[in-house]
Amino acid sequence: MTDLLSNLGLGFAVALSLQNVALCFLGCLVGTLIGVLPGVGPIATIAMLLPITFGLDPVGALIMLAGIYYGAQYGGSTTAILVNIPGEATSVVTTLDGHQMARQGRGGIALGIAAIASFFAGTVATILIAALGAPLTKLALIFGPAEYFALMVMGLAFAVVLAHGSVLKAVAMILVGILLSTVGTDLETGQERMTFGYAFLTDGVDFSVLAMGLFGIAEILRNLDQSETRDVVRAQIGRLLPGAAELKQATPATLRGTAIGAILGILPGNGAVLGPFASYTIEKKIARDPSRFGRGAIEGVAGPESANNAGAQTAFIPLLTLGIPPNAVMALMVGAMTIHGIVPGPGVMTKNPNLFWGMIASMWIGNLMLLVINLPLVGLWVRLLKVPYRLMFPAILMFCSVGIYSIGSQPTDVMLIGVFGLMGYLLIKFGFEPAPLLLGFVLGKLMEEYLRRSLTLSRGDLMIFLERPVSAVLFVIAFAIIAAALLPSMRKSRDEVFTEA
Amino acid sequence: MSEPVGGSGARGIVRGPQSFVAGLGLIALALFAIWAGGDLARGTLGAIGPGLMPYGLALGVGLCGAALCVAGLLRDGAQLQAMPLRGPVVILLAIGLFAVTIRPFAFGSLSTPGLGLAVAGPLAVLVAGYASHEARFSELAILGLLLTAGCMLLFGDLLNLPIPMLPTALIQALSGTLPSRTLLRIAAGALALAGLVLLVVSRRSAKREPIDVARHSLTT
Repeated sequence: MTDLLSNLGLGFAVALSLQNVALCFLGCLVGTLIGVLPGVGPIATIAMLLPITFGLDPVGALIMLAGIYYGAQYGGSTTAILVNIPGEATSVVTTLDGHQMARQGRGGIALGIAAIASFFAGTVATILIAALGAPLTKLALIFGPAEYFALMVMGLAFAVVLAHGSVLKAVAMILVGILLSTVGTDLETGQERMTFGYAFLTDGVDFSVLAMGLFGIAEILRNLDQSETRDVVRAQIGRLLPGAAELKQATPATLRGTAIGAILGILPGNGAVLGPFASYTIEKKIARDPSRFGRGAIEGVAGPESANNAGAQTAFIPLLTLGIPPNAVMALMVGAMTIHGIVPGPGVMTKNPNLFWGMIASMWIGNLMLLVINLPLVGLWVRLLKVPYRLMFPAILMFCSVGIYSIGSQPTDVMLIGVFGLMGYLLIKFGFEPAPLLLGFVLGKLMEEYLRRSLTLSRGDLMIFLERPVSAVLFVIAFAIIAAALLPSMRKSRDEVFTEA
Repeated sequence: MSEPVGGSGARGIVRGPQSFVAGLGLIALALFAIWAGGDLARGTLGAIGPGLMPYGLALGVGLCGAALCVAGLLRDGAQLQAMPLRGPVVILLAIGLFAVTIRPFAFGSLSTPGLGLAVAGPLAVLVAGYASHEARFSELAILGLLLTAGCMLLFGDLLNLPIPMLPTALIQALSGTLPSRTLLRIAAGALALAGLVLLVVSRRSAKREPIDVARHSLTT
C-alpha cells in the first residue's frame, strides 16, 4: 500500500510538471478535435496525430498520446450523442439513448453525464492499473515463451468471439493478419520473405500504414458510398450539468458500468469492445421499466459510457505489464513506444519508473481535463459536426498522407495506405471486419517468435504447450470459448448482444 | 452440386453470393501466398525454417475460404453489394499523386520532379474532392490552400519534421538568398493569402448570384 502511494506520488510528480500538463491538455484537445469528426475513430485519430509527438521526450510523447486517446474516445461519444454516428464500435450503444436525449433537448445533460461517468470510471481504472501493475509484472517473470504464445492464442480466440458477424470470417481475418505480419525479413535467418525484391517491404509492412489504410482511407471510401444523412441535433443542447434526481438515477448504472468495463478491458483480445454492450444489456434487464431504454434513458448513457472509458484504460494493463497489446489502439502505443526506444513489457516499470507511473498519473489528469475542456467547448464541437463531408474527407485524406509520410519519409508508404484502404473497403463490402485482421497483424510477429522459441526449447515437441500448466490452462480457455461461440444457443445470444441494441 | 428441386430458382446454384465470392478471394490469396513463399525453407518442428509459418497460415486461410465457399453454396446468404467505382478510383488517384509529387519518385529511368507539400497538398485535396458528386472547384481550392499552409507551418516550422515543403527547383534557384525557414514561412503565407482571397471572392459572387452555386454543384 505504501508502495502504491509512493509510486503514485512519483507519477504525479512527473505528470504535474508544467510541460507534461500542457502536453496532456494539448493531446486531449486535438484528440477531441479530430475524434469528434464523424467517421474518424480513435485508431485513425491516433495514427494521424502520431507524428506530432515525435519531437518530444518519451515521457511527454506518451502522455500526449494517452491524452489524444482519451480525447478521441470522448470525441466519439460526442458524435454519437449529437449526430447519431458512432465513431467506433464502443460508442454504438451510446447512440441509442444518448441521441434520443439530444432530440428531446437534453443533449447537454447526455454529454454532461457521459463526461462525469467517464471521469468516475477513469478514476477507478487508474487506481486499478496502479494496484495491479506491480503484481502482474511479477507474474510476467514466470512466463516463458510457451506461456506467452498460449496467452496470445487466447487473446485471438477472444477477438474471434467478440467480432461481429460470422466466426469463420473472423478466424480468416486473424489468419490473414498474421500472414501479413510474416512479410519482410525473417528475424532468425535474415532471409527475405514474400518481398518480391522490393526494398520497401524488407522491414515488413509498417503497422501505422496498415492501420491508417484500414481505418482511415477505407472509412472514407465506405462513407462516400452512402449518401449523407447526417442528423445533427437541431434541438437546444440545454444545460450541461445533470440535476440531483438525474445523478441519483445514473449513479448505480455508472458503478456497474465501471466494474464491467474494467474487468472486460483487462482481457486480451479487445475485451473492451464488449463492455458497453454488456453494460447496456444489464441495465436494460434489471431496470424496472425496460421500455424507457431507447427513448432517452439516462442509465443507457451513463452505464455504457463508464464501461467504455474503464475498458479503454484497463486495456493498458496487458500492454504495460506483459508487453502484449490487447487491441489496435494499444498496438499503436507499442509503435509509438518503439519509436522512442522503449520496449513495452515488464521491463518498463523497473527500467523507466518515471515513464510508467507518470503515464498512469497522467491518465487521471487527462480524464479530469476532458471534463474541463469538453463541457465548455460543446458549442465548438457542434459547429465542427456541421462541416459537410464533401469538405471533410479531402482534409482527412491529406492529414493521413502527410502524417504517414512524416513517419518514414517513404512515398511508397503513402501509396500503401491507398492499397490497404482499398483492401479494407473490399473487406467491408464482403462482410469481413478489419479489426481482427489488425490484431492478428500486431500479435503475429510476437507469436511466431515465441512459437519458434518454445519449439526450439522442446526440440520440436508440441506437447510443451500442454505440459506446462499455465499454458495448458490458457489453451483450454481458448478452445472452450471458440467452441462455445460455435454452439447454436451461444451463437444466438452472441448475436443478440450485438444487435440488441 | 445439383440445384434442389423447388429451390429459389432466381438465385441459381450459389445461394449466398457474398460468402461464395469472399471464399474464392481467400483461396486466391492463400494460393498467392503459397506461391510467393515457395522458395523459403520450411524446416522441421524442432528447427522451424522461415517458410513454415507463412505456409501454415496460407493453408489456414485457404481452408477458411473453402468453408466459406461451401457455406455460400449451401446456405442462403447476403447478396453481393453494389460497388461504385468513382470513389475508390479518385481517392487512389489522389493518394498516388501525393506520393509521386511530394518528392522525386523514380519510375525506372524516369523520375517525377519533387514538388514538395506546397504543391502536393492542394493537388491531393483538389483531386480527392472529386470523389464526391457534390465537389465544387472553388471550395476545394480554398480548402486545399488553407490546409496546406497550416500543415506547412505545423509540420515544417513548428515540429521540424523532414517533409519536403517546396519544389526542389525553387529551392535550388533561391538557395543562398534566404534561410530555408524564412522561405517556408513566406510560401505558407502566400498559400494562405491565396486561399483567403479566393474565399472572399467566392463569398461575394455567391451573394451576388445565388444560382451560381447550384450550377457548380451540378458540374461533376
